[in-house]
Amino acid sequence: MNAESTASNPPLRAAARPVPLFSPGRVATIASGTVTQLVRMKTFYFLLAFALVVVAVGNFNLPATPAKELSMIKKVSFGTMDLFAWLFAIVATALLIPRDQEDRTLYTILSKPVRRIEYLLGKLCGVLVVVGVSLVIMYGICATMIGARESLFVSAEIEAMAANGGYSQEQIDEQVGLIRQQGLRPELGLAVLASFLKAAVVAAVTIFLSTFASSSLFTIIVSILIFLIGHAHTMASSFWLHSSDNSLFVQMLVKVVKILIPDFQLYSFSEGIVQGEAVAYALVGQMGLVTAGYLVVFLLLSLLVFVDKEF
Amino acid sequence: MSELAVEVKNLTKVFTLGLKKEYVVAIDNLSFEVKAGEVYGLIGPNGSGKSTTMKVVLGLMAPSKGEARVFGLDSGDIRARNEIGFLPENPYFYKHLTGAETLRFYGKLCGMRGRELENRVTELLKLVDLQGAANRRLGGYSKGMLQRIGLAQSLVQNPRLVILDEPTAGVDPIGSRQIRDLIMHLRDEGYTVFLCSHLLEQVQEVCDRVGILFQGRMRKEGRLEELISIEDQTTLTLEGASPELLARLHELVTSEPDARIVAEGHPRTSLEHLFIQIAERNREASK
Repeated sequence: MNAESTASNPPLRAAARPVPLFSPGRVATIASGTVTQLVRMKTFYFLLAFALVVVAVGNFNLPATPAKELSMIKKVSFGTMDLFAWLFAIVATALLIPRDQEDRTLYTILSKPVRRIEYLLGKLCGVLVVVGVSLVIMYGICATMIGARESLFVSAEIEAMAANGGYSQEQIDEQVGLIRQQGLRPELGLAVLASFLKAAVVAAVTIFLSTFASSSLFTIIVSILIFLIGHAHTMASSFWLHSSDNSLFVQMLVKVVKILIPDFQLYSFSEGIVQGEAVAYALVGQMGLVTAGYLVVFLLLSLLVFVDKEF
Repeated sequence: MSELAVEVKNLTKVFTLGLKKEYVVAIDNLSFEVKAGEVYGLIGPNGSGKSTTMKVVLGLMAPSKGEARVFGLDSGDIRARNEIGFLPENPYFYKHLTGAETLRFYGKLCGMRGRELENRVTELLKLVDLQGAANRRLGGYSKGMLQRIGLAQSLVQNPRLVILDEPTAGVDPIGSRQIRDLIMHLRDEGYTVFLCSHLLEQVQEVCDRVGILFQGRMRKEGRLEELISIEDQTTLTLEGASPELLARLHELVTSEPDARIVAEGHPRTSLEHLFIQIAERNREASK
């Protein structure tokens, strides 16, 4: 290399194209990269475990009426589905950002024209897509099992009542109706939606924790703790705040916890849906808005920590 | 005056250690410029502040004092990063992606889509000689292949400035030579290259200008030939010279009062050159 060769350089390269302030395309790229990563990490294998649980529960003959048996199958299946969804949301989210930091993949991503909010949003969207797809598959497994059992119970009930004789068509219809009420109904989709919304909030909380946590293990443990506190703090706070024995400090502490930790008990309306209760659609809409609020708050908090983070 | 690709002015970076309020000055009032179209090498021992300087230029770190600009834009500005391609010291990529998927991923992050992206991916895979491994996951790549896909990734959006951090670290001599050839090709294509290395021979081969960093401070900077040439000495390499000619040359030199022969002998090839020659010869023979 010498001065002459520098002087004979080819024409310099043209300036880069303009960069938009916010690019949904970049968010989508990071989200689809996250989906590919989770799929290739073989995370969908947990669905096999879920399928086994549902098949086992569905084939367990309980000493109860068909309606009660169906109700039990639904409760256990939807409970397991809910558990898998929020646990998966925590573990997947906790693994992604710390791993990008540890492997320093984050260096190469953030050295491209990517805003940090786009990175966080992309990761969250990627996890939510996988959680959503998993819930749909799990619901499909549940629906198949519940539908099969329901048909079996209905035909067995009709046969038994006809064999015994003395039952009017109205009585048979009433009995079948009781079974059908605990069977596969379209409203059950709303219970799946509730699980999804809850998992979305859990994932947002986990993203916030992983922006400053030093390890995935710490993030997972603290996220689970927050989830558990979030399920109990409404009950706990009503006890602590209304007890006259507690000091001002305890009352303040309870209030702070109540503000900082999302109230996951709000999503328990899905239990009523699973049990065959009537659905308050306004409540479902309200939950959607509350979830959006939580997502915005936790994403902003994450950005606050992440925006000035040095790598 | 030629355009400046990188402009670092009075840059200081201080790290706080833990909660004890202990400070470490990683870069101390550093100033230098990289002109558009040149290959600039920042050299220094480990811990001298090279990587920190790069991270500030890349916008991954904020300066404690001073400033860093890329083509006139503040290094923290996202538009500056669209002008930069970065190859980190170790290949920090998703191992679950294939070579082609990696390039597509980074291309999309830079706003490329469709035919334009596909053409660029094909072009870059050819440039770094990885067409045969395009559909293999990075988990199965060798260190040299990872560095080459990393270099391709850094060029995906056709940046004006390419930043290379220890580009041949841990790569065998043949892979190292390939990367060196690619850097020279980039220079010929009009890219500005800013590289950090502690492998001095490599820097000497490819750089137009170098800066020597030690303990966060610029100790020496300038054009390479100005820094390393010994002004009052001349090398003369002869081929087929007879002993008589050599004797006459000796006489001629000793007849000059101020001149003397400092060294005399047979020029040697470098071990690296010898290794590459043997490897290439064997490769040819095995074909």
